[in-house]
Amino acid sequence: MKVLDHRKMLAVNVALLVLLLLTVLACSLLGPVGIDLKRALGDLFSPDAEILFRARLPRVLLGAAIGGGMAACGVVLQAMLRNPLACPQMLGVSGGASLGGILGMIFFPNWLLPVAGGLLGEISWVPLAAFLGALSSMALVYRFSLFHGRLHAYHLLLTGVIFNSFVAALIMFLNSIVDFYQAQGLLFWLMGSLSTRAYTTVAFIFAYVAAGFLWLWSQGLRLNLITLGGEAALQLGVEVASVERQVFVASSLMIGAMVSVSGMIGFVGLMIPHVMRLIVGSDHRLLLPASFLAGAIFLCWADTLARVLLAPAELPVGIVTAFFGGPFFLFLLYREGRKMPV
Amino acid sequence: MKPRQRLFVFAASFLLLASARLDADAPPRKIVSLAPSVTETIFALGYGDRLVGVTTYCDYPPEAKMIAKIGDFMNPSLEAVAAKRPDLVIGVVGATDVVKAREMERLGLKVVLLPLQNLDDILKSVRALGGMIGDPGAGKTLAEKIRVQVDGVKNRVRLAPRRKVLLIVGYQPVIAAGGKNFIDELITLAGGANIAGGAAQPWLNLPDEYIVAKAPEVIIEAGMGSEREKANKRWSDLASVPAVRDGRIYPYPSDKILRPGPRFGEALGELARLIHPECFAGKRGGC
Amino acid sequence: MSAAIEIENLFFAYGARRVLEGVSLAIAKGEMVGVLGPNGSGKTTLLKILSGVLAGVGEVKLDGQPIRSYARRELARLAAVVPQESEIHFPFTAAEIVLMARASHHGRLELEGAADLDAARRAMAATETASLADRYLHELSGGEKQRVMIARALAQEAAILLLDEPAAFLDLKHQKGVFDLMRRLNGERGLTIVAALHDLNLAALYFPRLVLLGAGKIFRDGPPEDVLTEANIRAVYGVEVRVERPGPERRPHVFVRA
Repeated sequence: MKVLDHRKMLAVNVALLVLLLLTVLACSLLGPVGIDLKRALGDLFSPDAEILFRARLPRVLLGAAIGGGMAACGVVLQAMLRNPLACPQMLGVSGGASLGGILGMIFFPNWLLPVAGGLLGEISWVPLAAFLGALSSMALVYRFSLFHGRLHAYHLLLTGVIFNSFVAALIMFLNSIVDFYQAQGLLFWLMGSLSTRAYTTVAFIFAYVAAGFLWLWSQGLRLNLITLGGEAALQLGVEVASVERQVFVASSLMIGAMVSVSGMIGFVGLMIPHVMRLIVGSDHRLLLPASFLAGAIFLCWADTLARVLLAPAELPVGIVTAFFGGPFFLFLLYREGRKMPV
Repeated sequence: MKPRQRLFVFAASFLLLASARLDADAPPRKIVSLAPSVTETIFALGYGDRLVGVTTYCDYPPEAKMIAKIGDFMNPSLEAVAAKRPDLVIGVVGATDVVKAREMERLGLKVVLLPLQNLDDILKSVRALGGMIGDPGAGKTLAEKIRVQVDGVKNRVRLAPRRKVLLIVGYQPVIAAGGKNFIDELITLAGGANIAGGAAQPWLNLPDEYIVAKAPEVIIEAGMGSEREKANKRWSDLASVPAVRDGRIYPYPSDKILRPGPRFGEALGELARLIHPECFAGKRGGC
Repeated sequence: MSAAIEIENLFFAYGARRVLEGVSLAIAKGEMVGVLGPNGSGKTTLLKILSGVLAGVGEVKLDGQPIRSYARRELARLAAVVPQESEIHFPFTAAEIVLMARASHHGRLELEGAADLDAARRAMAATETASLADRYLHELSGGEKQRVMIARALAQEAAILLLDEPAAFLDLKHQKGVFDLMRRLNGERGLTIVAALHDLNLAALYFPRLVLLGAGKIFRDGPPEDVLTEANIRAVYGVEVRVERPGPERRPHVFVRA
């Protein structure tokens, strides 16, 4: 009887963690322009240091946090909605975040937020506008998916998808009333990018993603049961309504925060959970951390490729995730397909 | 658009130009413009009153805003154009949708696409437009005026060292003017060297590390409506970049330099002043 | 000794559709009760109320305490359910599915301990599913799957076992297997068994007490020979049948008239 034990938990997580550390290191050293590591570490005011510590490291860290967060959210949403096609983009929150960000960019493009009273510099307020959009859409979707005091998976899915299409229409409308260059800028923003120099932003995302992930991880066991259906889970002793509420709120907050700074980066949240399920199994107590780490690794490399492939131009990272992730996923599905319930 | 395709459209538009000349005995009374630069040129020629339709992006000169809109630059409405019953529809090679242009022709409209890829194109198109409207003299005068402005700037910066320039139109993420863009030529004429000029794309998303590595001496934020102080703050993280260190980040509020039209010379002058202020110090001076 | 299950004047409706209209029923510990009735007569609803998935109006007590006084985890340790059909959307092995029964026993942040693995092993041995442990549930046949589901319910180590038509989609051999197992669990372990059943003849053969539901009420409650009569079946199912009592056991056997 092969079941999840502490040895497997430890082995998988430690292996992935080591891989992630190596990835962060490698991706910080790789890019469209070369750096002299000795000079970068020797003179912190040299361009090499600036490339390493300002232009690359923050975005590699951001990539790790967002890749991990997206993958973890994908795992729990697929479990909660009992739908293998569920992904973070489906929840409505992402649409709300995009709308918030776009409104921020159109109406107050030049607002800056002082961090810690200006001591830590100032950051663009667009992410905050996006996050406010995410929070309000979360409340809206939640309210509309509530039936008899319970979140209804089906309604949640439909509400999210319909809300997102509605928001997409609004965004395209806004996009067609602003001027040509602003419209181009909005489109680039919507396509998603991990470009950042602000450690403040990175820290904000890390805090959200870490807290949200731990919250979701604590529901791992119950998520296993929830995949068997609401009734079965109840009969096995799970407070289904409470788990669903927690998962929705935790993942919405994470997705909202992530989309606010990076736009919609697709595919990680859909694919990584499936890949990891095929590799480490479906037990969410392991699947969640394993997917988190794998998502982090995957997005770091995807972003590095995005910076390098068409250098000096940077590709939208979503193109890279889908272009390399898609075929790999199909290959895995072909080889391990029997593991998928029909 | 691929070069061959562009060549084809280019040739086709000149054939159309030629045919337009043949029946020049009846100059067009009603013109629809499918691009802001075309609208500007027609006004500059003194025939703005013949415009019966322009795009939603056509906001210069201010009178252009009063003219009926026929859709946006990328997406003009066939119906709206046809409803104006224009004698002539003018678009831009490489920007106006070729399929749409052909459909307009099928509706019996005379469509001309002007090439506006670089200064040469602009000068040729200005002259051609004058001819089409039935006032070749106005075309020639305007082209000459632009050329004189350009030569003036050229003379001023002739001996100045080339400064590395980054021109962006978006900040989140950074969208820069690449090669294959008339702005690249504008920067060169103004005595600069576009750090993204080697890129194959006219506009591209440029990663921060590339900007640090290429160390631009001047950064121009065009058409973003930014303020000087804010722009400086935004870049303050990249202190090793000369433009940041020396505080040479210039918001350029107008989209004058983004339009390949009659204000080319004027825009070039302003751009050169930002890149090489020292060459414009004296009344007649230069570098 | 208190009864395992006590139901007093239970009402339940899905919106305007009334399903249970005043059901009262007491089941002693260690009893084995088959619940019969046509489709829509409320068999499944009754089981769902007993497992706490639905709540009706009226008193329902498990082990002497009102059902709503239990937390979910406590309830799961008190009564285990074998569903009619199980949803499976993700690849879980049979062993993983059986171990899920232990969620109500060990901590939420823990992995299963020795006691949990032991309970799962015993449950799988009892249902002859040990050899299926590492196979994916979705790869198993209907009969194997159902035995795994019963193993899961056993691993819950609850004194009450609720089964909803546990043999509905099985062939004759596996049907008999499931009924044999129910009898064995009742006889050897003293589990209280309540099963909603379709097959009247198997019910009569295995279950000493049958409850016939009709029109939201208990139409008849008693030993098979009192419940499965031609008149009762005509009244509840609206079908003409002939009932004989063959063999030495003289259990009723229902023949449908074509």
